[in-house]
Amino acid sequence: MKQWSLVGLVLGLASVCVLAACGGDGGTGTPPPPPSDIVLVDTIPVTPNYGIHDQYTRDGLDIICAWNTGILIYDVGNGIVGGSPANPKLVGSTTTVGGEAHNTWWFHNPNTNEKRYLFVGQEGPGSIGSSSVGDIHVLDVSDLTQPTEVATFHRNGSGTHNFWMDEPNQVLYAAYYNGGVVAIDVSGTLSGDISSRMIDTLTFGANNTYTWGVQLYQGSLYAIDMLSGFWQLRDSSAFLSVAAGGNNQTERFGSDLWVANGYAYTGTWGGFPRGGVYGNALKIWQLGVGGAPTLVDSIITPDIHTVSDVAVTDDNKLLMFSTEGGPNSGFWFYRLTDPAHPTFLGKYLVGNGIHTATFSRINGKLYAFGAKDPPEPAQFVLDVTALDQ
Amino acid sequence: MTSRALVTLTALLLYGGAAAAQRVRADWSAQAIPALTETNVVPGNRSLGELRVVQPVGMLEVSGAGDRVRLVAAVDFEKYTITHGELAPGDWGEGFEDRRHPHTLVHQLMLVVPDLSGRLLGPVRLFAAAGKGFVPFGTDDPMSRPVVRYPVNHHLSQILERAVGLAGVRAGPVTLEGALFNGDEPVSPGSWPAISRFGDSWATRLTVTPLPGLEAQASYAFVHSPENRPGAGPDDAKTSASARWERGPWYGLVEWAHTRTAGGAFVFRSVLAEGALQLPRQRPYVRFERSDRPEEERLFASPFRTRRPLFENSILGITCWTVLTAGDAVEVWTGRRVRIAPFVEGSYLGIARVGGGVFDPQIWYGRTRGFTITVGARLASGMRMSRMGRYYVQSMQEMSMP
Repeated sequence: MKQWSLVGLVLGLASVCVLAACGGDGGTGTPPPPPSDIVLVDTIPVTPNYGIHDQYTRDGLDIICAWNTGILIYDVGNGIVGGSPANPKLVGSTTTVGGEAHNTWWFHNPNTNEKRYLFVGQEGPGSIGSSSVGDIHVLDVSDLTQPTEVATFHRNGSGTHNFWMDEPNQVLYAAYYNGGVVAIDVSGTLSGDISSRMIDTLTFGANNTYTWGVQLYQGSLYAIDMLSGFWQLRDSSAFLSVAAGGNNQTERFGSDLWVANGYAYTGTWGGFPRGGVYGNALKIWQLGVGGAPTLVDSIITPDIHTVSDVAVTDDNKLLMFSTEGGPNSGFWFYRLTDPAHPTFLGKYLVGNGIHTATFSRINGKLYAFGAKDPPEPAQFVLDVTALDQ
Repeated sequence: MTSRALVTLTALLLYGGAAAAQRVRADWSAQAIPALTETNVVPGNRSLGELRVVQPVGMLEVSGAGDRVRLVAAVDFEKYTITHGELAPGDWGEGFEDRRHPHTLVHQLMLVVPDLSGRLLGPVRLFAAAGKGFVPFGTDDPMSRPVVRYPVNHHLSQILERAVGLAGVRAGPVTLEGALFNGDEPVSPGSWPAISRFGDSWATRLTVTPLPGLEAQASYAFVHSPENRPGAGPDDAKTSASARWERGPWYGLVEWAHTRTAGGAFVFRSVLAEGALQLPRQRPYVRFERSDRPEEERLFASPFRTRRPLFENSILGITCWTVLTAGDAVEVWTGRRVRIAPFVEGSYLGIARVGGGVFDPQIWYGRTRGFTITVGARLASGMRMSRMGRYYVQSMQEMSMP
């Protein structure tokens, strides 16, 4: 038998509670200082719900896809509410049905001069390489201060990922993971369920299709597939067929793409090491006379798991890719003097990683916008004008 | 052998000078298990051995006011002894893979009113409890069961360390419990439940004891965003059914568990059966389990850790773990204050892919079959470890193994 005092018990429990309350997790390491020609202009904290996944910049607006927080439209130089890259100002926001706002495209229709529709991709739960869900939500942004969801596109059995638009022909192309590539007629007024507007779809075979992204370039639609590699597709009035490429990358999973200068740059994903190899490569493909891709070089970045996004400036001089999963996570910049063999210019490392990144030229300066991963998710804005010489 | 502590305090302590004296009873127990584990199911196709002190726990149950109110507390020191988890292929959860995560320092701290109704409802008893602790869902905490190794299905079959408010009714052999709690699971061994999320999840459990020693339960829980503390993650719909036998020297448990995540985008299934026989100085035991596990992206810094907070909602695939474990514990010292029971425990493990996804155990582990062997000793003092999570009974009176 052991005697206890009530006071002792209470004190003991209180001590345990204090001990537990004092217990904390270690913070993330501080990244090394970046080179002086990459200047952090501002960061926009995003509610960790889960955070920021992507951004789309156009006309001086920064449209942030903030997952369950929804769509956030910031003035970063448009002037509508007096914002700038150094002082972004929120114009409007909304949540999309089901949340999980993943990516977006603001449709500038040259036929009608309308800038009415914003397409938002929803990324639902999936088993990578196998299954996916998620709809395309259409917002009416005629009034940027009050975006309103007006239409939805749904496919059974697969979910959407990244977009590209043929704006003159009013066709939205969407990578659709295990659903391959989808072409959607987005002409006219969009309202309600627009699933019947699908023009065509293309996959690369069973257990060989998990398409990350698409891009139109000189009459061809290019697609990067996580499983089957880099494809050139024919696009005849938005009817899709394979032209060349494909089944050309087996040692790593594919990720994002950018096509410019007669070359294509594709990232690699390493959430799981395919064949034991992580996604630490940026692949460089030369496009032949007919547009067929041939691998000519790779950039290997040590101490990362994934090259998560790729972009080239509008003057084709500068290549950027974002990286995740390792101490070298952040922004990486390369000069494209020789587009087949880019040369390293600089990096800006960000703890936890940058999930997506995009260039934007605002008032004569070049900026890189990047989505910082949780914890403490945020929109990073870098002035990289000095690199673009 | 019990070391129930009877503490009689004066009314001066309890009621600040009131005349009536009250009895406060305090029961306690403590245990720790130094264990050496070796396995060949390790990322990178290698073997790994580790010596750790696992399950270092102290429990206290204080009852007062004529047992009208109880305080149930358990302190788990794994925060200090297995900071990086316990080597246990197949185990997962709270940012760990193939290592069983450390539990939070305050494992449970519950205030229990075991008999709200008194004699008002005749044989029907109402009870309630609130604090940090176990949700009335599923089966007993693995720590209070004979096998030292945690089962793969821990996160399919138990919900614990939540801010929980529960109420229940007992009528003869039937007990019905309902609870509200916070869906977020702990994010570190020092974390507390997100109080702002209290009530976003709920559970109910029906327990029947038709025969002495036999107990059957069926339970359901809706858990909002367990793996994303701010609430952005997918929800779980969890179902559990089990039958438990404990009488004389025999103990047995069979259970079935099922979790649907994100409206059925992912489904995880588990079946488990285990048994033990108490002999005069030793206790052989066995467990068979087949459980699904979500595969998540591992961190660059460690193949045993996953991203937290979780973002996006995708996984790399699902694996099914078949684990056959057998062991024997021998009580070599049963003193007045301390019990020492060395044990040896071995597991055969088989890993298979379920459905699609990029995760391939052959690539990750370099194998799809392997073993784990553990030798160690249970060191215990006070009463034997109780069945945690059934607050309507005096746990330390009904406790049994391990």
